[in-house]
Amino acid sequence: MTLQQQIRANRLRTVYVVLGFAALVAVFAAASAVFVGRSGAIGLLAFGLAYGIFAWWNAGRLIGSLTHASPLQKSDDPELYRLIENVSIAAGLPATPPIYLVDDPAPNAFAAGSRPSSIYVGVTSGLRKLMPTRELEAVLAHEISHIRNKDVRLMTLAAVLVGLIAMISDFAFRMAFFGGRGSRDRNPVQLIAAIVALVLAPIAAVMLQMALSRRREFLADASAAAILNDPEAMALALRRLQLDTSEVAYADRATAHLFIESPTRAVKGPGAFLSGLFQTHPPLEERIKALEEAGGFRLDALPATS
Amino acid sequence: MTWIWIVVAIVVVLLLVGIYLFNRIVRLRNEVNTGWSNIDVQLKRRNDLIPNLVEAVKGYAAHERGVFEEVTNARAAMANASSPAAAGAADSLLGQALGRLFAVAEAYPDLKASTNFLQLQSDLTDTEDKISAARRYYNATVLAYNNAIQTFPSLLFAGVFGFHPREFFAADQDDRAPVAVSFQS
Repeated sequence: MTLQQQIRANRLRTVYVVLGFAALVAVFAAASAVFVGRSGAIGLLAFGLAYGIFAWWNAGRLIGSLTHASPLQKSDDPELYRLIENVSIAAGLPATPPIYLVDDPAPNAFAAGSRPSSIYVGVTSGLRKLMPTRELEAVLAHEISHIRNKDVRLMTLAAVLVGLIAMISDFAFRMAFFGGRGSRDRNPVQLIAAIVALVLAPIAAVMLQMALSRRREFLADASAAAILNDPEAMALALRRLQLDTSEVAYADRATAHLFIESPTRAVKGPGAFLSGLFQTHPPLEERIKALEEAGGFRLDALPATS
Repeated sequence: MTWIWIVVAIVVVLLLVGIYLFNRIVRLRNEVNTGWSNIDVQLKRRNDLIPNLVEAVKGYAAHERGVFEEVTNARAAMANASSPAAAGAADSLLGQALGRLFAVAEAYPDLKASTNFLQLQSDLTDTEDKISAARRYYNATVLAYNNAIQTFPSLLFAGVFGFHPREFFAADQDDRAPVAVSFQS
């Protein structure tokens, strides 16, 4: 798997996700025509498409507000900006993306945005405080690699579109099984809700699965190591993330896959019941091992816990 | 008759492969050019900083003429360097000259405390870091391009179309050696 192949695969998958979403909206609208009539169905269709376009255009901002990230000026933290400028130059990006700060003590980072001009890198204040310069640079290089490999566009799109589907199916699921008072006499609405949930859930899962190739994280780690010429820095950064067990407050099913490491241990919120179906990130231990093999070094073994 | 069609098919396939390889090399060459212009931007920025830095030091240590001359000459050599290899050589000379300039500055506490000097010093460090970042990218693009035109079958026609190997921008002694990183699975 070379970088070019990954970039091409990402382009193709982006098209699939968009087409999949469009098809889903159309099917949903057609199915609902039975209940809300033709004009209602057209309205639903229009709403779905409008939401899609809106989401595509504002994906970066939507994720910014989901994760409570706010723009960081260069004058606020010139050192951090210098690091990301250097990393962007070394990666050959035409421009340096801006940094957004998430006020959260858990160390983590992500990249989001659908258009080149709206892409940014989000960093938690915990990461900024915890990481020494060398490892911070490696984390930024990992995020910049996601941007260069065109992962970010696909992952952002998946977060926004699939997030909506997961939300609807989750809502339907709850309505179906926890809606009525007595469990015996289910009304037709609950039955329909159950069907919707059962149909939507696997589709959402497949779409997310496509976006969440575990290979992508390995590739971004490897790219970051190549950009900095320093695989050990990336491995050390991952080890530090591994040792920290705090969780990011504003991260859920829809945004979890954007982060450098899984931001939550147990996924809460919309789509929770899907969370068992797939893992957003390969285990950190595996990622560290891949870097150790590539760079020909060994980190100190983990101190025994428990 | 059939052998004519076979020949035609072979020619068409060869032509398609040739077009693919040609386009790939052009793309790689464009990346090398972008990589070099990234370095050039940072080298120009540093060349613009140096006169200010020399002036700032002169204000406190006007009699240290030898160092100023050395820095000015090295800067001129850097500005006139025509190839990446020459620029790399001029770059290491300039680095040494700047090192001496800062050694001189060490002896003047007032100078070291002046905000102007501190600002220039931090700008210069920043630019040096960016040069080395841009160098990593450029050298990686040169490696990819040179590999593409020097391997079979591209090497058969690369020379004919005017694709020639490009020079690396020499790395400093203290730079980390390149590591090969392969992608798992």
